Amino acid sequence: MWRSATVRTSLGFVVLAIACVFVADFEISAHAPWAELGRLFLGLVQPDFEAVDYLGEAIVRTLAFAFVGVGLGAAAGLLLALVFRHLVVRTSCAFVRAIHELFWALIFLQFFGLHPLTGVLAIAIPYAGIFAKVYAEILDESDPSPSKVIPHGTGLVSALAYTRFSQAWPHLVTYTAYRLECGLRSSAVLGFVGMPTLGFYLESSFAQGQYATVGALLLLFYALIATLRLWARPRLLPFYLLAAPFLLGDGLPIRWQNVSRFFTEDIVPEPLRQGEGLAGLVPWLGDLLANEALPGIWNTLVLTQIALVATGLLTLALYPLVSHHFTGRHFTGRVRGALGHGVLVVMRSTPEYLLAFILLQLWGPSMLPAVVALAIHNGGIIGHLIGRRSNEVSLRPDAPRGIERYAFELTPRLYGPFLAFLFYRWEIIMRETAILGILGIATLGFYVDSAIQEIRFDRAMVLIVITALLNIGVDILARRLRNRLRLRHTAQSEP
Amino acid sequence: MLGRLSLVLSVALPLLLATSIAGASPFVFTAIPDEDETRLQQRFQKVADYLADELEVEVRFVPVKSYAAAVTAFRNDQVQLAWFGGLSGVQARQRVPGSQAIAQGVEDPDYKSYVIAHRDSGLTPVEGDSAPEALRGLTFSFGSKSSTSGRLMPEYFLRNDFGAAPEEIFERVGFSGNHSRTISLVASGAYQAGVVSYKAWENEVAAGNVDTDAVQVVWETPPYPDYQWTIRGDVDARFGDGFSERVQQALLDMDDPALLESFPRSGFIPVDNDDYEIIHQVGQQLDILD
Amino acid sequence: MTSLALTDVVANYGGARVLGPLNLTLAHGERVALVGRSGAGKSTLLSIMQQHWQASGAALMPQELGLVPSLSVFHNVYMGGLARRPSWYNLASLVRPFRRDIDAITPLLERLGIADKCWAAAGELSGGQSQRVAAARAIYQQGDLLLADEPVSALDGPLAELVMAALTEAYPTAVLAMHDVELALRFTDRVVGIADGAIALDEPSRRLSVQDLLVLY
Repeated sequence: MWRSATVRTSLGFVVLAIACVFVADFEISAHAPWAELGRLFLGLVQPDFEAVDYLGEAIVRTLAFAFVGVGLGAAAGLLLALVFRHLVVRTSCAFVRAIHELFWALIFLQFFGLHPLTGVLAIAIPYAGIFAKVYAEILDESDPSPSKVIPHGTGLVSALAYTRFSQAWPHLVTYTAYRLECGLRSSAVLGFVGMPTLGFYLESSFAQGQYATVGALLLLFYALIATLRLWARPRLLPFYLLAAPFLLGDGLPIRWQNVSRFFTEDIVPEPLRQGEGLAGLVPWLGDLLANEALPGIWNTLVLTQIALVATGLLTLALYPLVSHHFTGRHFTGRVRGALGHGVLVVMRSTPEYLLAFILLQLWGPSMLPAVVALAIHNGGIIGHLIGRRSNEVSLRPDAPRGIERYAFELTPRLYGPFLAFLFYRWEIIMRETAILGILGIATLGFYVDSAIQEIRFDRAMVLIVITALLNIGVDILARRLRNRLRLRHTAQSEP
Repeated sequence: MLGRLSLVLSVALPLLLATSIAGASPFVFTAIPDEDETRLQQRFQKVADYLADELEVEVRFVPVKSYAAAVTAFRNDQVQLAWFGGLSGVQARQRVPGSQAIAQGVEDPDYKSYVIAHRDSGLTPVEGDSAPEALRGLTFSFGSKSSTSGRLMPEYFLRNDFGAAPEEIFERVGFSGNHSRTISLVASGAYQAGVVSYKAWENEVAAGNVDTDAVQVVWETPPYPDYQWTIRGDVDARFGDGFSERVQQALLDMDDPALLESFPRSGFIPVDNDDYEIIHQVGQQLDILD
Repeated sequence: MTSLALTDVVANYGGARVLGPLNLTLAHGERVALVGRSGAGKSTLLSIMQQHWQASGAALMPQELGLVPSLSVFHNVYMGGLARRPSWYNLASLVRPFRRDIDAITPLLERLGIADKCWAAAGELSGGQSQRVAAARAIYQQGDLLLADEPVSALDGPLAELVMAALTEAYPTAVLAMHDVELALRFTDRVVGIADGAIALDEPSRRLSVQDLLVLY
């Protein structure tokens, strides 16, 4: 067993994470969190649906931003997928998806302001990058033999439609539906920076300690995600897509001179703007790198490493909750399965930002709340996917039960896909550390947020580019590892 | 189906843009989200209605999520008037030449911050102009990074009194995001001490949101100028000559307690840009302003 | 078009010569059976022919059939006619097939005994049904030449004859790789035997008996 490359790599990751725990700041310092937490849980069990004046509107906006953003992203991604083999396209897609949608929103806020376009593009752009990559993988995996029998003289569009797209269609639909759920989460989270979605009211109520309102908003959001399959029917999608652009709200008018100002002034490094030239730029950049970028990179890497391993461990512990091999298939089993499904929906739909803040109350300011928040959120997502995968496994009728079934039958079979999911998630976890930076944990996101709060976009842009490069680096590393371990590269395993 | 989808969107989006760009623009204002922001829309809607009556133009209030977003909206001319804090006002006026501070609250020339601490920290309230030495070595939370009362001025006084940066004075420094959150973090013991606007503290205590057995005020900073209304210089060109004076007058004339409660202030008095020079200097000193 | 010719063709696989050099001329209206042991190079020769004669209207029916499992039988057959229609028509047909195409394809499916499967997904069919769908597609393509690799390998007795009859009726000019020697003799004019990548036999079918071909196996 110890000779297996998979096992050795896994252990390497765990050892590295343990080493990181020693250098990370994990001190627990809260003394009396129970009063505050008590209020919070009371709010969750006694939600007050009447407290938010704009509840209906917030839900409509959350859906509208998700549909338009994901729709545009999917359409653009599909076109890009056709030319994805070009290096320029691949690199640009890697770059745009390496920047978190919150950062995209913060950038667009600077020149489009509180206009719906800000929220739409903040979702559509990174999603287009993700869609392009995954769609290209799905299309590549389709059987090439039907292309050979296409009659000579058939147009390119017809040929693609009848061979590649027709074959890939079910996979494209499944993946796009999954992405729609992510889009709903992204749309809600964009409220944190001022878009009129659920997150707007969630953040406000949370900041004010109005936990009954927080409870109401969260329950609504869980319900929206948990019932996605019921209302997001393929036949209804065109109608949703048609209606969504008209339900975004009107926001504030765009002034186009702000756009040119952003590119010609705001993001030009300050020494260049002041006419100091290269002589001023070097110390400016050096200062930024030494005082913000390097500490930010270090903390981001440490936090990501620990969170990744914690996510993995949590996933392995949780997937049986939604696997019928453990819950059983009869009535009580299905009830247990539904409960497990509910637990995972709550885990993956609670914005990690909120989880981190709740845990911050519990343990005080350190990396611990961030690690646990990331592990819960991502563990919920991968647990759900692995559980679903486990339901595709058929066991012999006399297979062992309980812990033996877990350890000998299922986990070894699911370990490959599990690692593949986790490596895909690696880059995403790193991207998410950015949001926690906004909460005060000194990742790169913390310094980006500081620069934006100080209205210094020249600094913010340098730090965002560094963040993107770091993400691309991790993505490349993850791909190398996947190839080395020969984890089957199925596009649908992209969470 | 994806083809159909992109077709729909390519038709619908430009339409949406066209409709939102066209049309006469109303006079828009915003306020920094310093505290009770859930009811911000509701409360400031009353102010918007009042201004619309006084100015005889369409007036709209737009809520934002951060101090920086308020400054950006002002700078981008998406809002023409804003209720800023001391620092955000200076940031905004620095970026919009010709903009003017026109009114501040009666309380604002002598605004102050409260340093609060958890009972378990062992701190006891002290009088006087210098920060208590006992703060050294504690964990400490500021509010928003661009708050005047929750960060800028307290940091300035702390640096002066201790002769060191906050990271050196305290064992750990955090930014909670806003005043209410600072109070709840200190009350839970997550941080041993923190600093908040005195108005925010009084509001939260009056609303019964503070466990005064767990957290108390231990020091009051010296006074400094804070909140003010700032208006863009180009409003006269857009809304008619003398428009900014009319806005100023309307603000100064505001005497309905229901309106003033939104801020909360007992009334408004005239002010100009120079009254915030001290904030400007401190901002530069702390490398928050260029 | 009077004749089709391959001159000095070769095929290499991993640096080793697997076929040729060989020459082969195909007259218009001539049906040729390619026979030989599996691995002798029949499929390789067929794919070379496809590369050479694709533009002259060759319809291909490969051994792996090339069906799109997620599309209906109708659409798989319709694919044979893609080049005859503009792209918008083909896309529209993917969403909702046109009456006239249904009317054209249904009799073909009826003749091959799979009309009841018209709207089933190709992926749900048995091997024999799939092979008939691929044959229907090749027929619907209405090319000038058919290149078929084991077109009836998954069909038994009467069905195999039915499909062979339909294919040869639609394509007077054809090259058919076959292992059923008896069927090959009945439905073709000429037999080309391949052994070790070269032509080992080339005779008119009427002069051959099943025994004559056994030497190739």
